[in-house]
Amino acid sequence: MYNYLNFKNKAMIKTKQLFYLSVLATAITISSCKKDDPEPATGGGAGGTSYASGVFITNEGPFGSGTGTINFYNRSTGGVSNDIFEAKNGYPLGNIVQSMEIFNSKAYIVVNNAGKVEIADGTSFASSGAITGFTYPRYFLGINSSKGYVSEWGSGGMAGAVKIIDLTTKTITGTITTGNGAEGMVLAGSKVYVACSGGFTNDSVVTVINSVTNSVSTTINVGANPRSIKMDAGGKVWVLCSGEWDATYTFLQKPGKLVRIDTATNAVDLSLPFASTFSQPSNLVINNAKTMLYYSYSSAVYSHSTSSSILSGTALINRSFYGFGIDPTNDYFYGSDAVDFVSNGKVIRYNASATLVDSFAVGVIPGNFFFR
Amino acid sequence: MIELIAKSFVMNLFKINCMLSFALLSLTGYAQQIPIDSSTQLNVVEVSDSKYILFSNSSKTETFDSTLLNRYSTNNLADVLVNESQIFIKSYGLGSLATTSFRGAGASHTAVLWNGFNLQSPMNGLIDLSLIPANFMNEAKVQYGGGGAMWGSGAVGGSIHLNNIGIYNRGISFATNTTFGSFSDKQQQAQIEISKKRFISSVKLFNHDAKNDFPFVNSAQYGKPLQRQTNAELQEYGLMQENYFQLNSRQKINTRFWYQFNDRNIPPSMTQNINVSNQKDELYRLTSEWQRTGAKIKSIVRAAYFDEYLFFADSSIDIDSKSRTKVFITEAENNFSITKFDIVNIGLNNTYSEAITEDYIQNPHQNRTSIFASYKIQTYNDSWTAVVSAREEFVENKAIPFSPSIGIRGKFLKYFSIKLSAAKHYRLPTFNDLYWAQGGNPNLKAEEGWSEEASLEHSYSKKNIFWELGATAFNRDINNWIIWLPDEYGIWSPENVLKVWSRGVEYKVKFILEKNKFKFQLSGLYNYVLSTNEKAATANDVSVGKQLIYVPIQNAQGSASIIYKGTSLNYTQLYTGYRYTLSDNSNYLKPYSLANISVSQTFSLSTSKLKIFAQLNNVWQETYQVLAYRAMPLFNYQVGLSLVFNQPNPK
Repeated sequence: MYNYLNFKNKAMIKTKQLFYLSVLATAITISSCKKDDPEPATGGGAGGTSYASGVFITNEGPFGSGTGTINFYNRSTGGVSNDIFEAKNGYPLGNIVQSMEIFNSKAYIVVNNAGKVEIADGTSFASSGAITGFTYPRYFLGINSSKGYVSEWGSGGMAGAVKIIDLTTKTITGTITTGNGAEGMVLAGSKVYVACSGGFTNDSVVTVINSVTNSVSTTINVGANPRSIKMDAGGKVWVLCSGEWDATYTFLQKPGKLVRIDTATNAVDLSLPFASTFSQPSNLVINNAKTMLYYSYSSAVYSHSTSSSILSGTALINRSFYGFGIDPTNDYFYGSDAVDFVSNGKVIRYNASATLVDSFAVGVIPGNFFFR
Repeated sequence: MIELIAKSFVMNLFKINCMLSFALLSLTGYAQQIPIDSSTQLNVVEVSDSKYILFSNSSKTETFDSTLLNRYSTNNLADVLVNESQIFIKSYGLGSLATTSFRGAGASHTAVLWNGFNLQSPMNGLIDLSLIPANFMNEAKVQYGGGGAMWGSGAVGGSIHLNNIGIYNRGISFATNTTFGSFSDKQQQAQIEISKKRFISSVKLFNHDAKNDFPFVNSAQYGKPLQRQTNAELQEYGLMQENYFQLNSRQKINTRFWYQFNDRNIPPSMTQNINVSNQKDELYRLTSEWQRTGAKIKSIVRAAYFDEYLFFADSSIDIDSKSRTKVFITEAENNFSITKFDIVNIGLNNTYSEAITEDYIQNPHQNRTSIFASYKIQTYNDSWTAVVSAREEFVENKAIPFSPSIGIRGKFLKYFSIKLSAAKHYRLPTFNDLYWAQGGNPNLKAEEGWSEEASLEHSYSKKNIFWELGATAFNRDINNWIIWLPDEYGIWSPENVLKVWSRGVEYKVKFILEKNKFKFQLSGLYNYVLSTNEKAATANDVSVGKQLIYVPIQNAQGSASIIYKGTSLNYTQLYTGYRYTLSDNSNYLKPYSLANISVSQTFSLSTSKLKIFAQLNNVWQETYQVLAYRAMPLFNYQVGLSLVFNQPNPK
């Protein structure tokens, strides 16, 4: 079948060319025919091809039928390499690249709308195949040398689950049912806290999984639609709930909340509601010392000390970002701008005191960062 | 199909033109020699697009007659336009959604009118051309350039006019058409027509199903596997019923009814693994028209009711949406002359639209009224004409920008003609733009702008030879172009932000040699279109000055046909140039070139005809993508058999 499909008779090609040339003769004489490819994408390869240390930016890619990409930012040279996966492997990652994680020197790239996790070498980015069979996967979390978890929204965005991955055989070995829209995960000892963002519906829980037995140990009510989750220096888990819209999407009938869980008792010991009925807080990150939290809210970035029990009213950076990250090596802030969502995006860097440093171009709809 | 019913439809079309000029000339009250042999028995013809015929000739136009549409009997309108017109068709795959880009404009910038009624969805402004069977229409015409004054909202890049034509006194006809094609494609069509001296009634039926499970190399997956397209099945069927009555020498009435049901699965892109989406479209379109040709005034009153359903289901994202739109259009127009050298058209249009959907907070409705007028003045021998048109539309009693247009056409040096025109165009925001929950923006303005064009044509005919050369240059601005962007809270909402400047040149060439029963035809088309965004939509927007995505700068088409007695052979080669896929032009799709062949053999016996035909697509096996990562088939074919029987009326 393959041979048949590629069957091309050379004589036929010649006839085709001749015919084509003759019918276009007029056109060609009048207008110069552009033979050269248009300008290529800028900055390719400037960040090098070895990715041992630097910042990875996952770009979701154009909506619909496009492909996501990954950029690599080289901290020491300031260079950026574009689409490092396809450059190395000759095929694109797939539709909507959600996130990536490097665990035990392997990169696990979660491709949301293609229902797969691509695996590549963490340094060369050479592909070693993909784990398939997911339904709207979101994030990867390494548990031990042979086991990983992948959160997913599941069928209809209403069947939240954590898939158990055998990292050796690269297969899904089991499913742990969680609340709707399993999203951000954090490992606290042997317990995994899974924020259940609601998926295509609503939910308000964090599902706690015993990673030894792969079973749900408890479910904690936190607030409407928790998405991002981080653990602080004191071992407490912080959850950012994005709030819930009313049926007609005109206001937040349940505004967002920042919630703290005491991992010893699995009880909520602090709950800080946001005032806005229009703006959903998002993108909770934590500094290297794990003492300061940062999040986006109402077109700005705010900070929150893990020892504080009130929300700050002063913005740290007066700008909204599509994706937001913090580099543990120097506490630099990385914010992304998706511009018009149909062209290459930008990453803007700020130093630890939130002063603008520089910016660089990345792929389409930059959504997440991985710092190494 | 209809072409086969007519003994010689080319002749009939010629007659249509003559009849129309005759009607117009008698209307203008000045006699001119009509080049028709008095012994020829004229079939009276009924058309519904006199406004197009009377007032469009200063713009670039193209006509695809029923002979040509018949060659595409197994195809849809998108296939016809890909092969024959200079419009770029954005196709999502075999049998999938196909929309237009007219001179670098967007998909909702094309007005599609069926016998004068706009078919664009009030919800999204689109019409899927892959859902229009070519054989349901007797004629398709394309007017390039803006035409707000003539055709109202949506006629920005151009307009497509689909017409049904009633031809009286042809007797009883029956036709069937059966085809089989690649990837389990099966189609059946049938038509019955009774055409008397004062009455015509006809029914057309079609049924089409296909698996569309074509093989392709998925270059977007690990190991570049050979795959078969999945979830691409389609099934569609429909009916068109037309009645024409000549009440008396002055009055005519017609009714047309179009029902269609389409059930399509939506295949995944090459970068997705699976897709389980399904879309069903069901439509009921009913129109009626009354024409009265008085001594001084010709009056037309027409009304349409469109009731359309769209069901979209995707279990993987928990969507099972149903929406319904109802559109009620009434239009009245009058044609008359003030002097011997002019003609006036004045009319009124009311369009009421309503949508019933869960995607909005409330079910919206919209009432629009427009007043339109055209005036044409021509020299005694019709060698120079000038047309001025204008429209004022009121949306819910609020006036939107006044739309005028002006055009001149002149013939000189015997073989040359020139066309110059300038027209205002506009497009109203759709219901989705206004009311989508969440994000709909009820404060949107209409997109508007001007388009100008100049054409120079040369045509020559002598005995057996005819040739034609044409060049058109155009310029167009679209201001307040609506795009969706996230607002400060991350909520996607439409805004009037872009300003798009399009300009370009279009060339056409045609050569025909005709001798006895032999006809040889060569034709070529070429366009060069720049369509760039001129205004930043966001703070870091680098798309300013860049070509719009999915607008090829270069497009070309060449075809050769040979017809000898009942044998017909056509070869068409299409070329589509680079298309950018990102608004900053940092990524693009490679050009592609496709070749299609159609061949047919007709056997005639008395008043019956049998035709065997084959259509071979992508014969040189080009691997290509019209849209990024949407797989397209390599070689594919359709073969068919059609049978036509005609019993003329007793003399």
